[in-house]
Amino acid sequence: MRWRGVLAGLIAVVAACSPAAALDRASVAARACGGASGMTDAANAMVASLPDASVEDARWVATFSNAAIERTLRCGAGAPTIAAPEGARDAASLRPGAPADGSPPLLSLKNRPLFETVRAAATLLAGPTAAERAGALTALERRAGSLPPELFERAAEAETDPALKERVLGVGQAALLNSPDMAKRLAAIQRIAATPDRRALTQIAALKGDPAYGEDPAFRAAVDAAVGSIERWLAVSNALNVFYNGLSFASILFMASAGLAIIFGLMGVINLAQGEFIMIGAYVAYAVQEAMRAAAPGLLDWYLIAAIPVVFLVTAGVGIAVEATIVRRLYTRPLMTLLATWAVSLLIVNLVRVAIGTQNLQFVTPSYISGGRLVTGDFIVTWNRLFAIVFAAVTLALTWFVLKKTPLGLNIRAVTQNRAMAGCVGIATRRVDMMAFGFGSGLAGLAGLALCPIYSVNPQMGSNFIVDSFMVVVLGGVGTLAGTVIAALGVGQINVLIEPLYGAVAAKVIVLLMIIAFLQWRPEGLYAVKGRRK
Amino acid sequence: MSAFDRRTFLKTTAGAAAGAILPLAAPPLIRSARAAGTVKLGCLFSSSGTMANLEGRLNFVAGMAAEEINAAGGVNGSTIEVVTSDPASDWPLYAQVGRQMLAETKVAALFGCWTSVSRKSVLPVVEQNDGLLFYPLHFEGDENSKNVVYVNSPPASSVLPAVDYLMSPDGVEAKRFFMLGSDYVWPRKINKQLKGYWKTKGIDESAWKEEYVPFSFSNFQTLVNQIRAFADAPGGKLVVVLTVVGSSIPDFMREFANQGISSSDVPVLGLDMVEADLEGLDTQKLVGHLNCWAYLQQAKGEANQQFLKRWAGYVGKTKAPFRPDVAIDPMVSTYDAVHLWAMAAKKAGSFDAPEVRKAFGGLSFDCPSGYKIGMTAENNYVSRGVFIGSVNESQGFDVLWQSEDTPKPVPMSQYG
Repeated sequence: MRWRGVLAGLIAVVAACSPAAALDRASVAARACGGASGMTDAANAMVASLPDASVEDARWVATFSNAAIERTLRCGAGAPTIAAPEGARDAASLRPGAPADGSPPLLSLKNRPLFETVRAAATLLAGPTAAERAGALTALERRAGSLPPELFERAAEAETDPALKERVLGVGQAALLNSPDMAKRLAAIQRIAATPDRRALTQIAALKGDPAYGEDPAFRAAVDAAVGSIERWLAVSNALNVFYNGLSFASILFMASAGLAIIFGLMGVINLAQGEFIMIGAYVAYAVQEAMRAAAPGLLDWYLIAAIPVVFLVTAGVGIAVEATIVRRLYTRPLMTLLATWAVSLLIVNLVRVAIGTQNLQFVTPSYISGGRLVTGDFIVTWNRLFAIVFAAVTLALTWFVLKKTPLGLNIRAVTQNRAMAGCVGIATRRVDMMAFGFGSGLAGLAGLALCPIYSVNPQMGSNFIVDSFMVVVLGGVGTLAGTVIAALGVGQINVLIEPLYGAVAAKVIVLLMIIAFLQWRPEGLYAVKGRRK
Repeated sequence: MSAFDRRTFLKTTAGAAAGAILPLAAPPLIRSARAAGTVKLGCLFSSSGTMANLEGRLNFVAGMAAEEINAAGGVNGSTIEVVTSDPASDWPLYAQVGRQMLAETKVAALFGCWTSVSRKSVLPVVEQNDGLLFYPLHFEGDENSKNVVYVNSPPASSVLPAVDYLMSPDGVEAKRFFMLGSDYVWPRKINKQLKGYWKTKGIDESAWKEEYVPFSFSNFQTLVNQIRAFADAPGGKLVVVLTVVGSSIPDFMREFANQGISSSDVPVLGLDMVEADLEGLDTQKLVGHLNCWAYLQQAKGEANQQFLKRWAGYVGKTKAPFRPDVAIDPMVSTYDAVHLWAMAAKKAGSFDAPEVRKAFGGLSFDCPSGYKIGMTAENNYVSRGVFIGSVNESQGFDVLWQSEDTPKPVPMSQYG
């Protein structure tokens, strides 16, 4: 979309100017249609021409390489053309009215980065808006070394935005790591060390093999200082990574087990259909998305937020229905509830499978849950995980509020602690059971909602969570929210710490063994509610 | 004793999980009475559990191929009846259902299994009963049973050409590799052979890393962090060789894209990745990642167009819960398998497995992939073409490279 606007602008500009002769556009275009090696040649020719290219040529390079990447370039029997909604244009002259035939050439693995670099470099030189040029510069930062240094000098000269100019100069400096001028090299080292990631470390550590490292003490000191500083920052970013990964896994565990903690804690019902309530939550979120697509397409991006109440109410309703029809009749026989809820879970899975199908559901990924942001070093915050963490924190706060500050919560706590006495003082324990089961199911549904930007949503997704969530609930101590939170954080963090050392398979086993050992020592879990059961 | 217990348990599970195998429980007497003038082919593909979305559609493809053959007059005067089942993605259950099909339902041949672990569990059953199992997936090789027809390619004619391409100047001149797989026989054997292969190429052991995750693992955050770290280390271009299966594939790809790695930085070669795995993903950020199969939907040729048209028509007619506009390699391989069986049975003039097996030598069939696939008397392998696909914006794969012809399959790997 963004590109289409830019293209339209470019067409207008290019049409107004007379074509410059420096770059043989027709030859480049023809080569780009000559298979994988031809495309490589074309990309290299464009890069080589850029430092001296006229503005019109640079714009043409941006347009042409973009057409190749976006697959609007058409290679047929005649001259190459660029397809557009308003009609095909000749690829070399960009004049409209060309016959649109042929097929888009496929960018091979090797050519894709080349063309992306060419597009970014050309946009940096001749992009119409500062935002465009800044975006191009970001794309170039990691590949600066592969471009001629004069390119950055030229871009900096032409740059009108002072902040961007500064950045362009910086990237240009970094590209001079192997320049014959020692001052420039030292500047480059400092510049690279300013973004302390592993790539920078690799780049600078390689300089220890450089002859100058042995000869020039200033150079040696600069390299050593840079390596030391990068390594320090990397240690910080690694720690942050582990913490963030653990937190994100913990948020998933907590979401999956919060509802179970209430249901299991209150009634001692081992609800094996809990995973399927998660799945229903995700499917309801999908239904809301589709409804919004039909009713309010403009607000589609906010379907995840809009779905929150719907998901909670629907899954709570399903939970209440299950409680009223099945679980209620089996309170005296806990083992039978286990079987019955398992049957319910199989029933739900197969109903969804028959009614909707087994394929993964197609969710819209709005910008607030897609991609991530590099914070420092190699530490990336991915938005979908952050969404889950925030969602879990909000759910935790609301659950705590309901349990501690509302009459329903008071009743639930009373029944959990002493069912008989609660009944004696006039609490309708059966009704509280039903409400609590509904509340727990609703929380599971919300977990499904929080998970759909992270995991694939299909009828089987629930079964992945059931073991983990029981693990967390039992470890935390049955019936306590705080225990569930601590257990989720602990299991998440430990898992993430073990995984890189012994692998994901062993991590699961080790965590399970640790929990078994812990439960040997404290069978009631981390926090035990006193007087819960006889 | 414990084996018996497990089996009884599985039986109950399957019964509860899906009514689909109920027909199998019908008294054999009734079934054989109905069988006059028909020949039965058994399908061992799950329509529930983790493999349901992938394997489920193969039941329908087998039905479609049988319908085609029946419309052309059947085989040896009989019409084909396809018997389906549901082993519920439970590996030992494949063996049990397979045994039932061979002994009680009296199927002439079995078509089935996706994962190698399910094939390994059916293998003793078909060997004891001297039956035939047509296996439609590319796999780790190193197996050469006279009772299994390996319709798809062993590594030497699928994975190794793809890895060669990645290491060549046409590819990305890959120097280092991160192998990430589900923890079972197929990924482990493939990776073992790859390591052996790289050793013969003089690549040092420090140039690769190997990690395994449990089945249906989905939390790939830490592993993608590790891949990023390994990619930024010195030593040349890194490629991820991905052998995770099922729902782990989309979950991995999503995390990979979210952490900002594109195919230009680190390409992923997803050995089990098919179009169906990209359903539900934003493929805009995944463009350029690779897979390798013996068929891709974009394959050129009339045979492919016809196959796609027939599949769309068949889905419409049978209301199969799968997309009519997506065709994946195992579908085509199953389709080829039913046709190859019919050709062999016709040539042998019999439905007996030993007779049919003898007729395999010299068979050839116009596969929808555009290659003429063939079998020799030497073994039960089928020679197929090789495609390398590249993910495009519309959740499909473009053909990045394809082999000149069909390389001769090599059952036993020489790389360990």
